[in-house]
Amino acid sequence: MATIVLEKIARDFYDGRQMRRVLYPTDLDLKPGELTIVSGPSGSGKTTLISIMGLVLKPSEGRLFLEGKEVTRLSDEKAAGIRLEKYGFVFQQAMLIEGLTVMQNVLLSYAIQGGRVSAEQRRKAMEILRALGLEEAAGMQPQLLSGGMKQRASIARALVKDPAILLCDEPTSSLDAENGQVVMNILKRIAVEEKRIVVVVSHDARVFPFADRLIKLENGKISSDTREFYSETSETRESRT
Amino acid sequence: MRSLTAFRIVLHDRNSTLGVLLGVVSIVFLVGQQLSILFGLLNYMSVLVDHSGADAWITSANASSADAVNLISARYVDRVIGLPEVLWAEPVLIGNGLFRTKNNSFESVRVVGVRRPRLAGGPWEFVAGDERSLLDLEAVTVDQLDLKKLGHPALDEVNEIGGQRVRVGAITKKVRGFQGTLVFASLDKVKEISRTPPGRYSAILVRFKDEVNKEAALEKLRAILPECSVFSRAELSRLTRNYYFSQTGIGSSFGFSTAMAVLIGVVIITLTMYTSVLGRVRDFAVMRAIGGRRVDIAVVVISQALIIAGIGVFAGFLMLSTFLRATSSSSIPSYLPVYVPVILAVGTIIISLLGSLIALRVALKTEPAAVFR
Repeated sequence: MATIVLEKIARDFYDGRQMRRVLYPTDLDLKPGELTIVSGPSGSGKTTLISIMGLVLKPSEGRLFLEGKEVTRLSDEKAAGIRLEKYGFVFQQAMLIEGLTVMQNVLLSYAIQGGRVSAEQRRKAMEILRALGLEEAAGMQPQLLSGGMKQRASIARALVKDPAILLCDEPTSSLDAENGQVVMNILKRIAVEEKRIVVVVSHDARVFPFADRLIKLENGKISSDTREFYSETSETRESRT
Repeated sequence: MRSLTAFRIVLHDRNSTLGVLLGVVSIVFLVGQQLSILFGLLNYMSVLVDHSGADAWITSANASSADAVNLISARYVDRVIGLPEVLWAEPVLIGNGLFRTKNNSFESVRVVGVRRPRLAGGPWEFVAGDERSLLDLEAVTVDQLDLKKLGHPALDEVNEIGGQRVRVGAITKKVRGFQGTLVFASLDKVKEISRTPPGRYSAILVRFKDEVNKEAALEKLRAILPECSVFSRAELSRLTRNYYFSQTGIGSSFGFSTAMAVLIGVVIITLTMYTSVLGRVRDFAVMRAIGGRRVDIAVVVISQALIIAGIGVFAGFLMLSTFLRATSSSSIPSYLPVYVPVILAVGTIIISLLGSLIALRVALKTEPAAVFR
């Protein structure tokens, strides 16, 4: 079962004149089956934290463990391999590649390291698209989709390889309230029902009710980490919305 | 699949694809047509030698080209013809004359005299008549490309070259020399036109028997005729081409224009590929984030360059073949040896790849963390 453990993880950036610490030594462990929301004002270190968790950025200090194995200083190639196998990413913008259809975008994870896409993988991708209400859009170019559809397609792309960890950076910020709710419902279900680690970075308070765990960052430090307050059943959530 | 992804991106990014295509087509077409004209001119330079049918050419000593020879004695023919290796030896006489046109103007022509009845070194391709017409003392050939210049002389029409009466016996097809109009006639007629002293020729053409070792036979000729230059046909052809190539500035001129064509193409390819990749930086970051390695990004970018280069080379050669077909019956010299298109295609693809290197560098520097910014 996938777990992510951060031990005294910190990160500095050179801002052109001096080194600036954007993330102070942080301890954190993430377990499957819960939706974790990382929140905080702009510049608080949310994106840096999720980038380090996703092995796309190396920390300046500290150690990062994935399933008990240290992955702090992997080579680019090894990190790419782990990202391909274990991670799914949903970005602030859907970031679908223009020129590829929705289906081709979803299948990109299979193809990016030169692999051949099998009929089984296609069938599975179609199943995911169907589950996300995008069956009809499979052959369409991304520019023909609405914002909500694009974001759902990017979730499909993130899910197609059954990743143990799903990292989402402001997935609802470019969506209207209704589409935002749809996307959050999907992410919640993936976390709880499919027992995956789902981390959502967001400063949008409307998504907080979906959290099983809410981590607040301020000035590069965790200011609060709560589990109980925001947990709710799907029934109470539906009655509220 | 990565190259398929690259292909789909190429299809989608039509503007940048067309830009790079323009660069590739420019290289293939501009360099190709420059080379075709250069090779066409090279053919003209050594045309008499290449079509002589002789294995060896005997000229005056220290000849620097087939067109820059002194006259040699006719007695060398007799010395050579008696050798057991020699099948035949025939003299040729090359001179200059003025062709009087119908409106009494004059055009300078190069007259080539060949001895009857073998007519070795004579014309080889005709649109009207044939080489047998030169068995007639007065007959000359004119080339179809020169008809306009010479006042459209008709077959059997009587004209005048160097004050001597001649009759157009045949019209040749694209038989041209680097120095211009070639008119073939019998040896005796050219002697009259160029007022050559008796018993003097420009060169002696020698054909060896089939079973003879040609290198050994050439050495034997050189030993027998130390006061002459003895060349194989290939040697004299190369010498003549090198002479014109280096002495006329044609080499540096064509080299410069070819280099400019390549440079223009490379600049277009580099700038367009660079712009295209800049527009795709976000996509490359996504590819990296979802598990693409640097090598995977390199495969996508290089595949893009190769796909466009392949299409561009095809389109460029289509245009080039149209150009060659259009100029085949004109006075523009154009010819491409079979190996040149292969070298040009491979060279263009390499140049396209070089042009994509800066773009590749940008793509490879894309960090996956960029997707979170």
